[in-house]
Amino acid sequence: MGSDVVSNLRTSEADAPLLEVRGVERAFNGRPALRGVDLCLRRGEIYGLLGPNGAGKTSLVRAICGRLRLDGGSVRLRGRDPARRPEARRRLGLVPQDVALYSDLTARENLEVFGRLLGLASREARSSAANALETIGLADRADDRLATLSGGMRRRVNIAAGILHRPEVLLLDEPTVGVDPSAREAIHDLLRRLWKDGLAILLTTHDLDQAEELAHRVGLLVEGRIRAEGPPETLIRETFGESKEVAVVLSGPLAADGRALLEDAGLEPVGDGTTWIGPLGGGLDAFSDLGQRLSEAGVAVGELRVREPGLRGVYFRLTGEELPS
Amino acid sequence: MSAAVFRAMLLGLVRDRAALAMSFLLPSVFFMIFATIFAGATGEQLRLKIAMADEVHTETSGRLLRALALDPALVPVGEGTLSADEVRDLVRRGTADVGLVLRSDAEPLESMGGFGRAPIVIVSDPVRGVAVPMLTGQVQKAYFSALPDVALGSVVGLVEDQFIELTDEQREELEAGLLDLKVETEDAAGRGETVGWGFQDLFEREDVAGQSAARNHVAYYAGAVAVLFLLFSAVHGAISLLEERESGIVDRILAGPGSTRVMVDGKFLFLVVQGFAQVGVIFVLAWILYDVDLISHLPLWAWTTLLVSAAAAALALTVATACRTKRQAQTLSNVAILVLSALGGSMVPRFFMPPWLQDIGWLTPNAWALEAYTALFWRDEPASALLLPWSMLILATVLGLLASRRLARRMERL
Repeated sequence: MGSDVVSNLRTSEADAPLLEVRGVERAFNGRPALRGVDLCLRRGEIYGLLGPNGAGKTSLVRAICGRLRLDGGSVRLRGRDPARRPEARRRLGLVPQDVALYSDLTARENLEVFGRLLGLASREARSSAANALETIGLADRADDRLATLSGGMRRRVNIAAGILHRPEVLLLDEPTVGVDPSAREAIHDLLRRLWKDGLAILLTTHDLDQAEELAHRVGLLVEGRIRAEGPPETLIRETFGESKEVAVVLSGPLAADGRALLEDAGLEPVGDGTTWIGPLGGGLDAFSDLGQRLSEAGVAVGELRVREPGLRGVYFRLTGEELPS
Repeated sequence: MSAAVFRAMLLGLVRDRAALAMSFLLPSVFFMIFATIFAGATGEQLRLKIAMADEVHTETSGRLLRALALDPALVPVGEGTLSADEVRDLVRRGTADVGLVLRSDAEPLESMGGFGRAPIVIVSDPVRGVAVPMLTGQVQKAYFSALPDVALGSVVGLVEDQFIELTDEQREELEAGLLDLKVETEDAAGRGETVGWGFQDLFEREDVAGQSAARNHVAYYAGAVAVLFLLFSAVHGAISLLEERESGIVDRILAGPGSTRVMVDGKFLFLVVQGFAQVGVIFVLAWILYDVDLISHLPLWAWTTLLVSAAAAALALTVATACRTKRQAQTLSNVAILVLSALGGSMVPRFFMPPWLQDIGWLTPNAWALEAYTALFWRDEPASALLLPWSMLILATVLGLLASRRLARRMERL
């Protein structure tokens, strides 16, 4: 995807932000959900907004759609406030987390209904629905009732309903939750095609692998704050340098000297403490040296693995928590 | 495992406080309203609206009508002196529950009846048929308690006619005694007491409806049932708005240029069409099976039904948009519909209710819908007579639609 990114960015007005979020704050019942969030989305870009459940991702999406009363800050879509300017919202397409469609209607009927609700004329809604069905690869199932389609197909129709009015910015809230790997891959292909067609995409997910695979830039949203932002490879390099990521999975209790050894090696416990993760410089020699020292210290090691560092490791290093796969 | 399901249900109910309050508070209110309605139906609090005409203009007829006017169970309606036709008209319009005519071309009130035309005509609408025995009782009571001298005199007249002839002396004593009884009765009435006794059949019944073969009770109940179920189905449709909020459809629409007004108006139009079709099915059945004269009233029926459906749709949307959860909406709507239908006469004719409850009933769309249908099918009235119910249904529609649009806007900004 790398060369595509470059060409797409080069051929577009890459520096003109379509979406600008500045210092957005909002609390619910005195509990802050968004604490001064800044975010910028440019044409020809896929932005992955990462964070665990409850981090504020859905609230931020609602703020971008103009649905949230802000305690502070601003949201601008091409310089206009989507909360006050319906024409600004025309540039926006939303794909909600749940399949927000009518299950008794066919895929085509759903798309025609939502096309009309998105402000298209009747004929335009019909042609947009037909085009969208081609785009998502479901033209042959267009007249099947939604309830009879598989979960992955319904998710694709859900995405199609967000692009009928040819928005400039597409917001997707956890688009692959609950789908199997092949359906997930089909959705990834669809999102890449939409991006190639010039759509700017903001994708909220707690699937770090998905973000790493799709996004040009990611932002890590934790407890209502963007804790880190940038291209995935940059964040990984800044966090790990030339190091690899090593993981030690314990098969028994950990004594004090074993704990000290792991901590000295720069590893940190994850979850219930049976897995320790951290960077490992020095290549395979260092890896084998760590294994030997653990063995000599009598640490019960069930699994010892080394891998190229990814966003999962970045997220863990920044938050001290690991997101579920 | 069943205990776990029970616990989940319990926690769900307890944590939705509005639904919890409605689950327990509203049924209590509902019970009290129904208790009041049915207590009224026993007759203890019932007050019949009565229109009276005196064609005889004798002292006796005047005394009888005055006694009836003072009866706490009766509320005289109509201004000034009414004619028999005016009485019939008031009953036909429903302004009076029942009418009473003391007619001139009949036996005198002083007779025992049974030898010629009955002196008292009770004018009734079959839809309020129960009013006849009730009024009969009140007239008998007034006749024998307020006019005992007349009653006794008529008995003596009968005895003399049929059995023995009185001497002049006996007749003088009797007349003096009857005069004393009259004075005593009037004195007692002045003290708020009654004297007198007995029963007599002096009545004839005349129905103001039933003159046309096409009119029958089904026309009333078709309207009553149609409005009740119209409200239920309208609420069921309106609650889909809350389902769409939960599924994310509302989020999707509001992320674009659409607004909640689009959704409310779209659902309103659908519910109006659906309601019109539902009421249509009921009336077509009434026409086919029970000879309700739908065809000759078709244009006015169609307009009335359109307005009734619109009022029901607007009310249902108001209930749905006022609630934050589906559970709240279901509880509130069930109770609201049952209360409105009870007060509005869909379950029990409003005539059975105490006057204050009948007055409250005018605040319900059911009452105006039934008023329009009965004016149309019972009283065979022209369009001009339907203007008031139509206006009230339009008012209910406009208010309900504006309220639901405003309430739905709460979904737009969180």
